[in-house]
Amino acid sequence: MNVLKVSKFTIGVFVLPALIIYICIVFVPILVSFYTGTLDWNGIGESKFVGFDNFHNLLFHDKVFWPAVRRTLLYAVASMIEIPFCLFVAVLLNRYVRKGNTLVSIYFTPVILSVVIIGQLWKTIYNPASLGGMLNQALTWVGLDSWTHSWLSEPKLAIYCIFFVSLWQYFGYHLLIQFTGVQNIPSEIYEAAKIDGADGFKADRYITFPMIVPIFKISIVLAFIGSLQSFDMIWIMTGGGPGNATDVLATYMYKTSFNSQQFGYGSAIASFLVVLCLVFTVAINAVMNRIDKRFS
Amino acid sequence: MDTKAKKALAVAVAGALSLSLAACGSSNNNNSGGDSGSSSSPSASAPASGAASSPTASAPSADSGKKVKLTFQNIYPDPNTPTYKTLHQIIDQYENDHPNITIELDTLNTDQQKLKLKTQANSKEIPDITMVNPAAQMKPFVDANLFVPLNDVLDKNGLRDTYQSGLLDYYSFNGNVYALPDGNNIEVVYYNKDLFQQAGISAPPTTFDELLADVKALKAKGIIPMAIGEKDTWTGSFIFMNILLRTNNGPGFLQDVVDGKKTFEDPAFVEAVERFQDLIQAGAFEDGATSIDVDTGRSLFTSGKAAMYMLGTWETGSIDASPIASKVSAFPFPTVDGKGDINQFMLAPGTGYAIAANSEHIEEAKDFLNYYCLNFPKVQFENKNAVGLPQKVDGDLKAAGYSDLAISIMDLFSKVSGGDISFDNTMNPAVAQAHLTGLQNMFVQKVDPAQVAKEHQTAYEANKDK
Repeated sequence: MNVLKVSKFTIGVFVLPALIIYICIVFVPILVSFYTGTLDWNGIGESKFVGFDNFHNLLFHDKVFWPAVRRTLLYAVASMIEIPFCLFVAVLLNRYVRKGNTLVSIYFTPVILSVVIIGQLWKTIYNPASLGGMLNQALTWVGLDSWTHSWLSEPKLAIYCIFFVSLWQYFGYHLLIQFTGVQNIPSEIYEAAKIDGADGFKADRYITFPMIVPIFKISIVLAFIGSLQSFDMIWIMTGGGPGNATDVLATYMYKTSFNSQQFGYGSAIASFLVVLCLVFTVAINAVMNRIDKRFS
Repeated sequence: MDTKAKKALAVAVAGALSLSLAACGSSNNNNSGGDSGSSSSPSASAPASGAASSPTASAPSADSGKKVKLTFQNIYPDPNTPTYKTLHQIIDQYENDHPNITIELDTLNTDQQKLKLKTQANSKEIPDITMVNPAAQMKPFVDANLFVPLNDVLDKNGLRDTYQSGLLDYYSFNGNVYALPDGNNIEVVYYNKDLFQQAGISAPPTTFDELLADVKALKAKGIIPMAIGEKDTWTGSFIFMNILLRTNNGPGFLQDVVDGKKTFEDPAFVEAVERFQDLIQAGAFEDGATSIDVDTGRSLFTSGKAAMYMLGTWETGSIDASPIASKVSAFPFPTVDGKGDINQFMLAPGTGYAIAANSEHIEEAKDFLNYYCLNFPKVQFENKNAVGLPQKVDGDLKAAGYSDLAISIMDLFSKVSGGDISFDNTMNPAVAQAHLTGLQNMFVQKVDPAQVAKEHQTAYEANKDK
C-alpha cells in the first residue's frame, strides 16, 4: 500500500467523498427500505409501525410469495446454465472462425436493444396464430398443430417462454465475455500442448477450462445476480400475469407497492430480495474461489 | 497518436460531453413537466396576481404580467380521440387570452398516470392540475390533504349547476368537492350488426343464455365473439360487475359488504363468478386475452374481427371515428337467469380534474380549471363527443351531425334508472388488486367459484381497515 509513499490518512481523505456518496446512494436507501418494511403505509398518508408483521405475513401467510421466489431462483439457474454453452461457442469461434469478432458483434446486438423492444417483439411472436403470432403460425405450417399453445397465457408455460427470451437476449453478452477470455489465453501454451499430443478438445479440457475459470466466474456472478433482480422483461411481456403465474420477486414487489398501495409490505419483499442476493453472492463467490484454487 | 494530440482529443471529448450534459439538463426541465416545483415564478407574488385577475370565462384578463407555468397532467395521449382535441383547443384559447400563463402538458395513458401520480404523491410533488378517479380511488389523496377543495371554483360563473345532479357526490368528501369529472358514462355492449347477421343472429340478446348462444354462433363462423384487453385487468372487472349487478337484483352489493351486511360468499356473488366463468369457457373472448392491452382489444373490434365490445360509452367517439362506424349499434347488458333490471347500468363517473394543495399557483390553476370546465361541454359537443358528458349541454344532436350510434347511446342514457360503480372505485386498492388478479386468473384456467368468493373475502378481511 505504501508504494506511493503516501500516508494512509491522505488516502482516506481522498477516498472519503466518493465513499460518502456511495454510502448515501446505496447503503442508506437499503437501510431505509428495511425500516419501511416494518411499517404499514399506503404511500401517501400516515404510516403505522407494525414491527415484524409484514415479514411474518410474507414468509408464512402469503400464497404468492414462495412460488415467486421459486420462479426467481429458477430464472437465476436458467441464466447460469446458458454460460457453459456460451463458452463452447466462444471456443468454436476462436478456433474455427477467421474473424470471430464480427460474429460476436452480431450476436451481441440483442443486448444493446431496449428491453421494451425485445419484449414487444417476442410478445408478437408468441401471439396466437389468429393474431399473427409467428411461432404458432410456423408450427401449423409444418403440421405440428398439436404443439401450438397460448404461450404467454398458460400459467405453467408462460414463465419458461419469458426465460427463453431473456436467454436469447443475453447470449451475446456472455459470449463476448467468454470469447475475450479465450482469446487472452496465450497461444504458446496450445502449441506446447500440441507437441505433447493434446489437440482440439483435449487441449480444451486441460488448458482452456482451467485458465478461463476467473472469466467464467465473472459471467456466472453477473448472470445470477442480474436475473435475481429482473423486472422489465417480465413486466413488458405479461405484467406478472395471468393472475400471478409469472410473478418474480421484483414484479411482486412492484405490484404490492404501487398497485395495491402497500409500501410497507413491498419494502419487506425488497428487503428479502436484498438478503437473498447477498446470500447467493457470498455462496457463489465461495464456490468459485474453491474451484479457482483447485485449478491454479 | 502522439501525446499532444491525445491530450487535445481528450479535452475536446470532455468538452463535448459536458456540453451535451448541460443541454440535457435544460431540455429535461422544459419537457418533463412532472413536478410542480419546476415553475419559475416566486410564490410571494402569487396571491397578488390572484387578487388582481378574476376574469369572466373567456375574456382576457388584466394580469400583472408575471409569467406563470401550470403543469396539467392528463390522460389523453391519442391525438385521434376527440377529448385530446378538446383539451388542446381550450388550452390554446386560454393561453391566447392570458399571454403570461403557459400550460405545460404531462400526457400519459390511464394506468401510467395513476402510477406516476402515486409516486409524485409520495414526495408531495403533485402537478398543479392532475386527474383522479372517483370515490375510493381518490380517498387516500384527500385524506392526506393533497388536493384543495374546489367549492369556490364551482361557485364561480355558475359552474356547479352545469353538472348532472348527483354526479359531484362521487367526488365529494366531508362536504367539499375535490375533483371535477370529465365524463359520466355507462357500460353498454357495442356490437357489429354485419357480423351478427353473418352468424345468423337476428336481434341482440336480452338474456344471458341468449348471449351464450350468440357466442356459440359467432364462434362457429370463426368470428371472435367479444373483444377484451385483459392485460388491463379493469376491463374484465367491468364486465364481471355488470353480471353481479344482475345477479344481485340491483346495485349496492359492494356497499353492503363494506357496511358489513353481506360477505363475498353471498350466493349472488358466487353466481356472478360462475356465470362469468361460463362466458369465458364458452370461448367468448379472443385467445391470449390476458396479454392484450385495452388499445389492442379495441382495435380488434374496430377492425371488424370481433363482433362485440363491452365497455363504457366513452368509447363512442373512437368507434365513430373508426372504419366500422356505420355498422355498430349498442344494447344494454342482458338479464342473468331472470334477475336484474335491464335499465340498470354500470356507471362510470369519469376521471376528475383536481388541483394540488402544495401548488405554487393555486389561484391561477383554479381560474384555469373554471374556464376549462365551463367550455369543456361546448367544445366536446362541437367535436362530436357529447356522449358521456358530465354536464348538461343544449344542442340538437341530429342537426349537429352526430351518428346514429351516438344518438342511440344518448337514448340509452335517458333510460338509466340506476346502477353501481366499479369495484376499484368502491374498495381500497389492496382488495381491488386481489379482485383484479383473481379475475384475470379466470381467463386462463377453470376455477371453483366458491373458491374465488372465499379469496375475495379473505383479501377483504385482511385489508379492511387500511
